[in-house]
Amino acid sequence: MASTPEEIQKSVRSYLIVFGALCVFTVLTVAVATWYPLESLIGGHGFDVWDAIVGLLIATTKATLVAVIFMHLNHEKKAVYWIFAGGLMFAAFMAALIALAFNDPIDDPFFYTEPATTSPATTE
Amino acid sequence: MSSHEDHHHHDPGFIRKYVFSTDHKVIGIQYGITAGLFLLFGFFLMMVMRWSIAYPHEPLPQWMSWMFTEGWKSKWLVDGKVTGETYNMFGAMHGTIMVFLGIVPLGFGAFGNYVTPLQIGAIDMAFPRLNMLSYWIYLAGGLTMCASFFLESGTAKSGWTNYSPLAGFADGQIVNQWLAGQTQWLIGLVLLITSSLLGSVNVITTIINLRARGLTWMRLPFLVWAMLVTAFLLLLAFPPLEAAGIMQLMDRVFQSSFFMPSGLYTPDGGLANLSGGGSPLLFQHLFWFLGHPEVYVLLLPAIACVAEIIPANTRKPIWGYKSMVYSVIVLGFLSFIVWAHHMYMTGMGPAVSAFFQTTTVLISIPSVIILTALIISLWGGSIRFTPPMIWACAFIPMFGIGGLTGLPLAFNLAGLHLHDTYYVIGHFHYVVAPGILFGLFAGIYHWYPKMTGRYMSSKLSHVHFWPSLICMNILFFPMLMQGMAGFHRRWYNGGDAYLAKDPESVNVFGQTVAQYIDLNILMSWGAWALAVAQIPFLINIVWSLKAGRKVESDNPWDATTLEWATPTPPGHGNFVTEPSVYRGPYEYSRPDHDKDFFPQWETPAKKPAEKPAVEPATANNPQ
Amino acid sequence: MEIPYIVSPRKDTGLFNSKIAIWLFLASEVMLFGGFFSAYVFLRLGADYPWPERTLPVLPGLINTFILIASSVTVVLAWAALKMRQWRKFQIFMGTTIACAAIFMALKAVEYKVKWDHQGVRLNDYAIIEGHLAYYQDGDEKRERNFISIEAESVTFSTSRHHRPWVRDILAQAEQRGATVTLADDIELLKERGGSPEKVASAGDELELGLLSTLKRAHERARANNSGVRTRNLRQQWAEAKSENPGKRGWELTATVDIDRDAIADDLLDEISSVTFDFSQPVRLDFDPRDIREGSSSSRLRDDTVIAGTLLDSPLHLEYVDAIDFQHLVMRAEHRGIDPETAITNSWLYENHEWVREVWAWHQEKVGALEQRLIDDYGLDENDNPRRVPTDKERYRIGWHDLAEKAVSEGRVELSAIDKIKEEFIGPNYAARGQETFPELEIPRDQIHFESKFTPAWNTFYAIYFAITALHGLHVVGGAVVLGYFLFFGRAMYLSNPEWLANRVEVGGLFWHFVDLVWIFVFPILYLM
Repeated sequence: MASTPEEIQKSVRSYLIVFGALCVFTVLTVAVATWYPLESLIGGHGFDVWDAIVGLLIATTKATLVAVIFMHLNHEKKAVYWIFAGGLMFAAFMAALIALAFNDPIDDPFFYTEPATTSPATTE
Repeated sequence: MSSHEDHHHHDPGFIRKYVFSTDHKVIGIQYGITAGLFLLFGFFLMMVMRWSIAYPHEPLPQWMSWMFTEGWKSKWLVDGKVTGETYNMFGAMHGTIMVFLGIVPLGFGAFGNYVTPLQIGAIDMAFPRLNMLSYWIYLAGGLTMCASFFLESGTAKSGWTNYSPLAGFADGQIVNQWLAGQTQWLIGLVLLITSSLLGSVNVITTIINLRARGLTWMRLPFLVWAMLVTAFLLLLAFPPLEAAGIMQLMDRVFQSSFFMPSGLYTPDGGLANLSGGGSPLLFQHLFWFLGHPEVYVLLLPAIACVAEIIPANTRKPIWGYKSMVYSVIVLGFLSFIVWAHHMYMTGMGPAVSAFFQTTTVLISIPSVIILTALIISLWGGSIRFTPPMIWACAFIPMFGIGGLTGLPLAFNLAGLHLHDTYYVIGHFHYVVAPGILFGLFAGIYHWYPKMTGRYMSSKLSHVHFWPSLICMNILFFPMLMQGMAGFHRRWYNGGDAYLAKDPESVNVFGQTVAQYIDLNILMSWGAWALAVAQIPFLINIVWSLKAGRKVESDNPWDATTLEWATPTPPGHGNFVTEPSVYRGPYEYSRPDHDKDFFPQWETPAKKPAEKPAVEPATANNPQ
Repeated sequence: MEIPYIVSPRKDTGLFNSKIAIWLFLASEVMLFGGFFSAYVFLRLGADYPWPERTLPVLPGLINTFILIASSVTVVLAWAALKMRQWRKFQIFMGTTIACAAIFMALKAVEYKVKWDHQGVRLNDYAIIEGHLAYYQDGDEKRERNFISIEAESVTFSTSRHHRPWVRDILAQAEQRGATVTLADDIELLKERGGSPEKVASAGDELELGLLSTLKRAHERARANNSGVRTRNLRQQWAEAKSENPGKRGWELTATVDIDRDAIADDLLDEISSVTFDFSQPVRLDFDPRDIREGSSSSRLRDDTVIAGTLLDSPLHLEYVDAIDFQHLVMRAEHRGIDPETAITNSWLYENHEWVREVWAWHQEKVGALEQRLIDDYGLDENDNPRRVPTDKERYRIGWHDLAEKAVSEGRVELSAIDKIKEEFIGPNYAARGQETFPELEIPRDQIHFESKFTPAWNTFYAIYFAITALHGLHVVGGAVVLGYFLFFGRAMYLSNPEWLANRVEVGGLFWHFVDLVWIFVFPILYLM
């Protein structure tokens, strides 16, 4: 745990560097999503799964910088790290298992007819 | 008051001392009394429901309806008979109150608050003011939910599980949706979740950071481990339900369609004025993500109490302490990945239902390890049948029945037949009612002497125990039979509508219903008798305060854990001097010791020569 | 005795109490936002309508991202200043943090308000029109031209369920349009057992809330009495039936047991569940479409008030149309195997509005130009298919940027750069760009499938957007309040126990960083995907 004034001075430098990095990544994420010269490079034109992956990768990088540097995780005991990571892990389990449930329905024609056409609200 | 070096000695006054107190013991008792009152209220709701099940066409008798106003009865009963809507209202609230306002606050709020800091040698919880806030938010949430009995709409009525789209539409006729019972239920739930979260942060921080000197992790009493795991379950499992609750709230008051699929038609005959596009299944997943860890939140405090009572009353250590600790940790972890066994009927495919089936069957292993360890702990013990011990011993087979009846439900195929039948109701009530509640009663009888300085009356305890045990079985065992025969849950008329009225009828289901429907009457009388059987307990609690046999010492059960090192009752600050711990939590009947118990806090006997002030390693005191 | 490890960490864990607590709390917050993000994923993947991709204006979100990142730096610099015992610097950095929070919330408020003023209409053929409702002046109030009109002849209120504000509103509207509301028939109620019916009100009495309250009380009193009478009688009947048939079970006797109507007749009082009032002349009444279930000859409000009268033409009147979206219509057409072009040209909008045909033609050209540009920039693949094609949104949605572009290309109106940036925040400047760019449109009520403002009701995207951003906003406010407390009330603690204050600021800062973390994910997921 950084506690002496000198160590804190050094930390201040790293905070400012991370600030700069975060700003750069923010501009980058918007550019990759919306700026014509960049946005069709990965994946296709318009939004597709590659855009999602790139966007989430950039976001995760930014988040890691905030967590490790701003939130002092680089100084903390492992226990703290595990508490937070535990939360993330459970959130991931929750999302993954729900995804599995949604993507593995039983073999019943009801689940495989096109959406929208089965809606009785076609005639009004 | 213990003598202590309090610089800022002041008399806080009655309100600060007993009402808005930050002392964990007072807060624990507040939780206990409030939870007890809610439990009684939830019990009453069930009694009315049981009338409707046993005698669906008969008006409520005087003795069960005198407390309602005529105005209320004219609205909610038809000619005195319980209607389907009223039954649903009572049913949803019975479940909600028993689970969220009764058992969890009693187990975790009352016992967790009162006993945990004492057993780890702390002077209070890590955040006493936060603790007080938790209690008052719980009370606010509980009162919010119950106040909706007086609204025009009545309370929530879509089951304690509150599935959308029904829970999104119910009470839709109320102009101001904020005043609808279903909406108030969600608001109450958000308050309750907040209270739980704050409480669990407090308990975990306390256990991690405020343990006494020498109290290493593997010297913790099992109760503390159980409360730690319970707190983690509450911490991590409740938030998705909070998210679901907020989304369902938005569906009701802002007409969003988080859980409303396209093309829904409303009871008054038109297409619902909603955008649609939502998913009812999403609610179920988020609900049961909490719902399953919640049942372990219900269980663990009760097992914690039993695990403390058994060694004290068999005069030997718990068998398999280490296994129990590892099991409870694994149980906690696994409980997060079994939830969809509540959803086998939702059309999940083979891969996902096989996954959940596997984890569900796996989770029975740590449960069984814990229960078996408790049973083996009795073997070769010098058993004293004190009141707490009787209840603790009854917990074991009753919870055992509950657990075993859960096994068929774990399998997706058997689950398809049994889902939403009375078998499920029988299963979970066995676990919670003669199981968990007996464990918590045991805890009350066990720690009452520490709280008040008097024993509870043993005679009254027997009068409470034996009828309760018998009535619990009369009430819940036939449910297992009815369930296997196909009786659905939430039938307000006990199955009457499905009866084959003609004995020659070819309606097979109707014939089956006719075979088992009379059990309803037996079960209902069992329930009403069970209510009567609780009266000796209520009398006992109050009577013993003034006239109970006084304890002979601060450690009346000759137990070994730290709470018995405090004065009786413990004062502000709990311990007279800061305790240190020298050995494990269950050092009973040690051959090298003159007494049959060696409390954790007693300094080791000083032998001449080289003796270090540390105990030799034993099976229960590894180092 | 004091609780230990509040200020200094415990040796074996290395942590002080509030740090453990905040990390635990953050773990639970991860689960909370995780629940919402999971919901987002499943709502999007399971959506049975075209998910609104990249539909939010990016600029406000981007600026808010910079603001939150800046506040994250300033809060940790504030903590550092405190550790180095530099009070003034602490104040400046903490003050900046809170100021950033305020600006964030202000921008958010602007974003929200713009959406809540924006109207969306989905037609029966699933074409979507967006814009702003027209207003009209109604006395002191400005009302929106989106209501159901009924030429009312009489109104029947439920005595127990009527909603008082709505009763007042009906009265006020009738009065304003020159009609009086009077009781249709005399009301005589038996209010005491063994007594005679009392006249409570006469035909011709004016509608008053007091009268309705009186009737409600009388009705509920009578209902309570009658319910008690019937209950007691039924209990008696059952008791008799059971004693006469000792062996039989309840369900065997049910058919035979009933209330003895004659025996109780004298004990019953008169209930009155509804009461009808006539209008002196047929008068037009307007109602919010969400409150009424309209029918051709009678309509019902949500409080069970029934209005007898003919349904009048009740179109929805948009003053400015700023978007037309055929994506959903096309999606449904494609499911049926109908070609998109045909579906669009057969839609009600296209067939009935010249302006739509014109805009669509212009838009087709623009899409064609985009297609060509993509081919020029990215080429064709082995099968001679273009490597990059316009998205469905680009093909089938005409947004306000397109309409503005069309206006500029036709030489009408060009705004300054500042005004254009303002538009990115508060939406298109209708007045400046004019009625030709954003025209009026009246939509007959029977063409409307669903309509709402851009609130959580509009579709599941807006629902989850508002849910996540509002919850996040609440966390911003909460965090700012806590940090503000340290800023404004921390001096005393700084003077007596600065390390404790530093701990609390650190813990508050950790929460603040978490709030920033969430936004780091919220921004790309909701605004850029």
